[in-house]
Amino acid sequence: MAGTLVNRQHVRRRRLSPITAMRGAAVIVILALWQAISASGLLYNGVIPSLLAILRALVQVVFGSELYRNMAVTGFEVLGALLIGGIAGIAAGLALGASRFLSRAYEPYVHYLAPTPKIVFLPVLMAALGVGPASKLALGAISAFFPMALSIAAGVRQVDPVLLRVARSFRLSRFQIVRMIYLPALVRPISVGLRLAFGLAMVGCLLSEIALSNRGLGYLAAQDYAHFQIAHMYAVLIVVFVLAAAGNAAIVWALRRPGEA
Amino acid sequence: MSAELRDSAPTTNSQTSGSSAPLLAIDRVCKWFHTPEGVVRAVDHVSFQVHQGEFVSIIGPSGCGKSTLFNILGGLSGKSEGSVTIGGQESTGPHPEVGMVFQEESTFPWRNVIENVAFPLEAAGVPKAERLARAAELVDLVGLHGFERRHPAELSGGMRQRVCIARTLASRPKILLMDEPFGALDEQTRLLLGDKVLQIQQALQQTTLLITHSITEAVQLSDRILVMTYRPGRVKRIIEVNLPRPRSSEILASATFGQYVAEIWADLREEATRGMKDSER
Repeated sequence: MAGTLVNRQHVRRRRLSPITAMRGAAVIVILALWQAISASGLLYNGVIPSLLAILRALVQVVFGSELYRNMAVTGFEVLGALLIGGIAGIAAGLALGASRFLSRAYEPYVHYLAPTPKIVFLPVLMAALGVGPASKLALGAISAFFPMALSIAAGVRQVDPVLLRVARSFRLSRFQIVRMIYLPALVRPISVGLRLAFGLAMVGCLLSEIALSNRGLGYLAAQDYAHFQIAHMYAVLIVVFVLAAAGNAAIVWALRRPGEA
Repeated sequence: MSAELRDSAPTTNSQTSGSSAPLLAIDRVCKWFHTPEGVVRAVDHVSFQVHQGEFVSIIGPSGCGKSTLFNILGGLSGKSEGSVTIGGQESTGPHPEVGMVFQEESTFPWRNVIENVAFPLEAAGVPKAERLARAAELVDLVGLHGFERRHPAELSGGMRQRVCIARTLASRPKILLMDEPFGALDEQTRLLLGDKVLQIQQALQQTTLLITHSITEAVQLSDRILVMTYRPGRVKRIIEVNLPRPRSSEILASATFGQYVAEIWADLREEATRGMKDSER
C-alpha cells in the first residue's frame, strides 16, 4: 500500500528539474526581448524603458515613502472588500446551496451577473460614498461577492450525501453536522472562492483608483502615466503584481490541507 | 442433512439462541412507495428476530428491498407498517445502540484514519486523549496498525471500508448493521475481509446483521441466513448455518459449505430470474 503514496520528495531532491529550467528560460527570454526592443529604438523610448531604468525606478519606489502610504490605502480597500464581499458571498452561497428553492429562484441571476464588469457601478458608488477609499472598497466588495457565492453554493451541494447519512446514523445535531461535516467540506470551495474574490477585488479597487481617486496604488500608477514617468509606473505595477501573487499564495497556504481527494 | 439445513417457517418464534429476549425484533414491517405507475411494495410483512451475539445475513436478488430494510432498521427511513423493536423498545429513528456501515465509500476525506474512527466519540463529547486511545485500539482490531495518520485518499477501497467499520464500532453499538460493505471489492479481498470480520465478531461477540448479495459471504460469516424474495421483499426461507466456530475462509473447502451454497442458490435463482425478467420488460 505504501507504493500508492505519491512521493514528491523524489522530484525536489534533483538539482534543476526540467520544469524549473523551462520556467527560468521563459523569464530570461522575455527579459531579453524587452531589453532588445527597448535598446533598438523601435518604439518611442519612453514607452519601453530599459531594464536598468526600471530597476532604478524600482529601488526608488521601494525605498521611498510614497509607496507605502498608498499601499496601505489599497490594502485597506482590498481587505475590506474581501471581508464584506466574502462574508456576504458565503452567506448567500450557503443559502443557495442549502435551499433548492432559493437556488432555482436566484442562482441564475448570480451566474449571469458574475462575469459582467462591475466598474459600471462606480459612478453610483462615488455619488453615494464619495471619491475616497469607501467607494473603491464597495466596488471591490461587489466584485468579490460573486465568485464566493457561486463557489460556496456548489461546495454545499457537492457534499457527499452518504456523509450526511453517516452523520444521521450517529445522531449528530444540526449544529454538529454543520461544524463537523459542512465546514471542513467547504474549506476547498472557500479557498477557491477566496482566491478568485481576491483577484477580482484587486482589479475592482485598482481600476476605480485609476478612474478617479487621490490615493492608492492605482492612483500612483495613473499619476505616473499622466506625468509620463513610465519607468516609475512599471515599478509600481511590479509591486502590485508581487502583492497579488503573495496574497494568492497566502490564501493557498492558510487553507492548505494534506490528503484531500 | 436437509433437516439440519432448513428452517422453513419465516415467522417462527423458536430461536436457537434460547431464552433471552431478542436484541432486535422486526414485526410485519412493510414499506411501499407511491410512484406515477402506482404503489410499489418494496418490503412486504417482513418479520424476524436477532439475538445477542448472533451473526445474521440477509440475502436476496437485486431489487428485493434489502437496502430499504437496512435503512428502516437503522432508522434513516420510515416504514409504512409494522414495528422495529430494539432492546425491547420500539424504535422509529436512528438508535444509539445501532451502528450502520454503508455500501458507498463514507470515510471523511479531510480526516486521517484515526480521526475518522474517533468521529462518533468526538461527536459524543469524549475527551481527546481517551477517544484517540479507543480509536487506536479499533484501528488495530481491523488490521490497520501503522496507518493511523494516513488519509483515506492514500488507502485502498478495502482499507477505507475497514476504517468505516472501525468508526461504527467506536460508538459501541449493540447491533451492527452492514449494507453490502464489500460490494465494490474483488472476490479475494472480500474473502480476506470476511476473515477479518469473523475475527472482529469473535473478539467483540458483536451482534451483526449483514446485507449481502454474495452467497459465499453469507455462508462464510453467518449463524443464520434470511433469504428474501424479489419485490415485494418477503422472507422466503431462514437457514441455520451449522458450521463450527471459530471459522475462517478455509471453510470454503468443506462439503457442507457447498451444500449450503447450493441450497441457497436454488432458492435465490428463482427470485433472481424473476428480477431479471422484470428489468428486461
